[in-house]
Amino acid sequence: MPYSFPLGPYHPALEEPFKVKVQCRGEVIDSATVEVGFSFRGIELLAQKRNWVEVITLIERVCGICSNTHAMTFCMAAETIAGIEIPKRATHIRTIIAELERLHSHLLWAGVGAEDIGFHSLFMEVFTLRELVMDTLEAISGNRVNYGMNCIGGVLRDIPDPKRYLPALDTLSKGLAEIVIPTFTENPTALARTRGVGQLTQQQAVEWAVVGPVARASGLDIDVRKDQPYLSYADLGFESVVRPEGDVLARVVVRALEMVESIRLIREALLSLPVGPLRATEGLPEIPIGEATIRTEAPRGEAFYYVASEGGATPARVKIRTPSFVNIPAIEAMVVGQPLADLSIIQASVDPCISCTDR
Amino acid sequence: MAMLKTILGNLLRPPRTRGPADMPDVPPVYRGALAHDAARCTACGTCAFVCAPKAITFTQDPGVSVSWHFFIGQCSFCGLCAQNCPTQAIGLQADAPGATNSAAGDGLRLESVVRLQPCTRCGAAHVPLPDAVMEALWGVGEAERGYCPECRRRAASEKLRAAFVPVQEAHHDR
Repeated sequence: MPYSFPLGPYHPALEEPFKVKVQCRGEVIDSATVEVGFSFRGIELLAQKRNWVEVITLIERVCGICSNTHAMTFCMAAETIAGIEIPKRATHIRTIIAELERLHSHLLWAGVGAEDIGFHSLFMEVFTLRELVMDTLEAISGNRVNYGMNCIGGVLRDIPDPKRYLPALDTLSKGLAEIVIPTFTENPTALARTRGVGQLTQQQAVEWAVVGPVARASGLDIDVRKDQPYLSYADLGFESVVRPEGDVLARVVVRALEMVESIRLIREALLSLPVGPLRATEGLPEIPIGEATIRTEAPRGEAFYYVASEGGATPARVKIRTPSFVNIPAIEAMVVGQPLADLSIIQASVDPCISCTDR
Repeated sequence: MAMLKTILGNLLRPPRTRGPADMPDVPPVYRGALAHDAARCTACGTCAFVCAPKAITFTQDPGVSVSWHFFIGQCSFCGLCAQNCPTQAIGLQADAPGATNSAAGDGLRLESVVRLQPCTRCGAAHVPLPDAVMEALWGVGEAERGYCPECRRRAASEKLRAAFVPVQEAHHDR
């Protein structure tokens, strides 16, 4: 006897509202429909009513986790329109913050994923490690979320003593290598809940146009940091992590190995921080008539920004396409034929960010 | 197995929950309570211009004073007001910011009154420049210190003119 089961809009995986309506036959899911839009805030329209300085503060609130990526991508778009080239030190600092943000986003995801499969002790371990990243971000920017690091033309805050943060990175890579990665990849409890669960084949990944770790876990080698290097990624060298399996375990492994790569990037950027100014411009920005599209690799995948200027005090159009916006619908393809009990970890495995999706 | 080792190791270690005495230091760049120094404020409005949630506003009592207002319920603590203030009149201190009681708008409001001064030359009420700015622009003890912006502009152009044209001729032109 088939029946339909609504999961959400409250607390499906993360504590954010989105709804998955599944059609079940007994234990097994036949099909699913995803509904989003419960926390729509109209940021794209608001951005047209704020001046170029205020918009950065507004855009930073698109997402609570990858806030820096959004502010940074917007600033990069404005800089492209105005033809501003930012100083080397600023690109390094932006890279460091972007990678620290990826670390804390992936660690948050690993913790939530562990909790979704009922593995509470692993959740605690992961969040202890995440606290190190949050402390580092707070020491650099003065805030645990919404760092306010970016401005059009560079960064607002310096990293005066880069070597100070190296011990935290060592502890972090030790914790990842000794606890988080082995537990997710070797522990029979964790494997039983993740291996072969929520398959998304390479063909399906192309059809659903997924991006980021979800695409890389399905064997698609796409990463903006490698395909179209921005900031300091070309200088620091970057290797993307790809797995062919396409199940939840592959998504876990891709994110875990990406964290190791992020730690390497942060360490190299901290050690090779060039001297020089933080900003290319002084005072309030003036953006001439023009338009720009910018792609960056947010923790969850490719973030796409289109910014148009008519030369006035405010942007004429800010179009934001966030990675979760394309990853979340792919849940519909992943859950078919899976047991209902796995729905929660499958939808958590795409790392859905509803705040980004609804913006 | 790795987890078992971790659990056994944790049995012998003290708790990892941080107590108040073990909190990380407040970083020097921490953005906490907002403070405004009326003596440094020129009421230029830059802080209100860059404030995305419009937590900072200005009101005027014509001829008497300009007031700087701040409402904490709207503040997002981005720190752009302090970053962009040309005279460093605004600072975000290391203290914890005050609380807001309800979404209805009760909570901490700050008001800082910048008194207008009459111009010592023409008498027009104006916002005096902070002492440090005055010293950098005009030096100490000059008559121009008490002038309004209009009179300062005139004084500056007169000085410039005097530097190029002999003084008597300058008077002729008038």
